[in-house]
Amino acid sequence: MNSEQEKILQELSQAIIQGEVKAARNLAEKSVAIGLSPLEVIQKNCVPAIEQVGRLWENGDYFLPELIAGAEAMKAAMSELQAALKASGQVMASAGKVVIGTIEGDIHDIGKNLVAAMLRATGFEVIDLGADVKLEKFIETALMEQADIIALSALLTTTMLNQRKLIEMLVSQGLRNRFKVMVGGAPVSERWAKEIGADGYGENAVQAVEAGRKLVNRKRGYDD
Amino acid sequence: MFELKKIIKEEIFLLDGAMGTELISSGLPQGHCPEGWNEENPEAIARIHQAYFEAGSRAVLTNSFGGNAIKLAAYSLQNKTYELNFKAATIARSTCPEGRYVGGSVGPTGKFLKPMGELSQDQLEQAFIPQIKGLVDGGVDFLLIETQYDLREALVALGVARRETSLPVLVTMTFNLTRRGYFTLMGNNPKEFVRVMEENQVEALGANCTLNSREMVSLIEEMHFLTRRPLIAQANAGKPEVQPDGKVKYSQGIDEYVSYLPRLIAAGTRIIGGCCGTSPEYIKKMAEAIKIFYK
Repeated sequence: MNSEQEKILQELSQAIIQGEVKAARNLAEKSVAIGLSPLEVIQKNCVPAIEQVGRLWENGDYFLPELIAGAEAMKAAMSELQAALKASGQVMASAGKVVIGTIEGDIHDIGKNLVAAMLRATGFEVIDLGADVKLEKFIETALMEQADIIALSALLTTTMLNQRKLIEMLVSQGLRNRFKVMVGGAPVSERWAKEIGADGYGENAVQAVEAGRKLVNRKRGYDD
Repeated sequence: MFELKKIIKEEIFLLDGAMGTELISSGLPQGHCPEGWNEENPEAIARIHQAYFEAGSRAVLTNSFGGNAIKLAAYSLQNKTYELNFKAATIARSTCPEGRYVGGSVGPTGKFLKPMGELSQDQLEQAFIPQIKGLVDGGVDFLLIETQYDLREALVALGVARRETSLPVLVTMTFNLTRRGYFTLMGNNPKEFVRVMEENQVEALGANCTLNSREMVSLIEEMHFLTRRPLIAQANAGKPEVQPDGKVKYSQGIDEYVSYLPRLIAAGTRIIGGCCGTSPEYIKKMAEAIKIFYK
């Protein structure tokens, strides 16, 4: 790799970390134009950069505006790189397919939106059903989309009980092994996740991505 | 006549506790709009206010936390914003004894302003205008703009309040305790919050939700260094935990919660109330605990 290539890659990483959408898009485009492999740029630069954004946020150095800006910059870079991949006839393996929503009876969607944005930024395909989503709708969509994961958000102590209900529904319909179930939301804890038999739990959007990765690996038969 | 300055010279002003959990235990169905009950089940709302007044609240907050047009739109009730808030105020007013007060609750929209979200400043204003008009026309004594996570949104609500009424306006934001100190979701720190509230001459300011009564102490202390305006503290009763029997218990527990009241008051709190997990039972114990601070 020559010094110009290195410089562009470094700038691209910085653009994502700083949440500069336009710069991230331009630099991603440039990296392809000068002959770098889109796949390598994604794996060696973009993914570590968005992970750095996540760490800064978890540590309290970044707040929600910076986290969202980072995810947006990542999205912009990824759309350029994925287009280039496609043009060259390659495909990038999806990190996994997630059907996500805030559960029935609950209209809160800030946390869910954050998790969806971070999952997308880290290479997951995300189908966001929005808020106040009927339990049946999660299952129907997951079946139709052949999703790997159903991710359920709940912000109320009353609606988090529906997370248990969804798992019970999967069991009774003989679908429990088809999907991994991830739960989150302010009142939700790891203990609660275990108690209701969920497969994964994230205390925040960064941990949700981590949990999602582990679950997809497990589903695909790799080790954690 | 509600004279906050005079009141807090004489007493620690006690607000009420949680509304949402009380609504649920009164039978509010899951997924039902809480503010909808102002029309459909006003008796239940009145009973909750009464219970708080009986427990010792000097003021109760109207059932209008999610009563802005944006939140109500999630239930297709946005066209009834004014009416539902007006009702919220009249119900609380009807339960209010002589010498006690009613505050109009104005919560956040749950959406983000651009560039984080889709909202424009104008859309946000339009969401708060009918709410605040309804509360004022319905007869509240003051407004409490509460649980705000974005200083910009709090300012929009405050701006609407200032234009619509000369009633006192109190503002609380919700802070998380991070490694580097207290910050809102959007990264506003207490210093920035206090500065902007000073500029806008709010009658009182403070914090609510998320933090328990122990965690709230040093936040109030920090604000007390920065302002001489009356400070509000409405802490959560810890974190909710679902018990094996399906009931929800808040981790801090009533006795521990109340045990931090003297420290909260010593830190500078002059207006106190409860947030998630608190109930008339909490308010009753709080009323007893703060008695010794009355002059």
